[in-house]
Amino acid sequence: MSGGLIAMGVIGRPHGVRGLVRVTSFTADPADLATYPLQDERGRRFVLEWRGEGIAAIGEVVGGEVAGGATRWVRDRDAAARLTNLRLYAPREALPPAAEDEFYLADLVGMAAFDAEGKALGTVEAVHDYGAGASLEIGTLIVPFTRACVPEIDPAGRRVTVVPPAEVIGEST
Amino acid sequence: MARSVWKGPFVDGYLLGKAEASRASGRNEIIKIWSRRSTILPQFVGLTFGVYNGRKFLPVQVNENMVGHKFGEFSPTRTFTGHSADKKAKRG
Repeated sequence: MSGGLIAMGVIGRPHGVRGLVRVTSFTADPADLATYPLQDERGRRFVLEWRGEGIAAIGEVVGGEVAGGATRWVRDRDAAARLTNLRLYAPREALPPAAEDEFYLADLVGMAAFDAEGKALGTVEAVHDYGAGASLEIGTLIVPFTRACVPEIDPAGRRVTVVPPAEVIGEST
Repeated sequence: MARSVWKGPFVDGYLLGKAEASRASGRNEIIKIWSRRSTILPQFVGLTFGVYNGRKFLPVQVNENMVGHKFGEFSPTRTFTGHSADKKAKRG
């Protein structure tokens, strides 16, 4: 995340001679990429229309509002090739509000972590989820993302309160 | 070849005692284990294990759907750093 922008995908190599491109989507559902207002690091705005699995037509918004008439679609392979490796971002505000007890990973990463007494533990460096519940990595500490271990989350203040669980060492085999 | 049914699921013996003690204590605790080969049994449901992946202990919150799988399946040994984009984490 840089300056309130979240990387949502990246344009790959051209596909065919009519300006289509391969697009790698970073969103939970790849098809959702087309629903976000996309822009690059320089502020150029783009619209995207899926034409197949991982293949899309891409257009630059040249007018004021995002509308068909104001969109300059990429029509040839050379123009598409110039967009290769272009990262597409969306503003954080464009993401729909999360459900109760759900948090965007982009919000959690970078939050300051404190223990129950207010002592700083570090910052949330990563959020892991390998099918057995999410967990937060805070320096060398990894805590389950549960109400017991992370009782308070303050998205506005960018801080979480962490109660590290007691550790029971199992016998090594 | 699949494991013979008559043998029953494999689980390192000491895990059963640790799980029982953890459940009895009722505390917010994580059981650090190295036994990635052990099968997850129904008596582990609701407990949290820290399963070693060669570098760190990743928390594994056991639920009903994980019974029959091995602990190691939930603690990958290779690092994957994907993009977060619009992905969400649910607090358990």
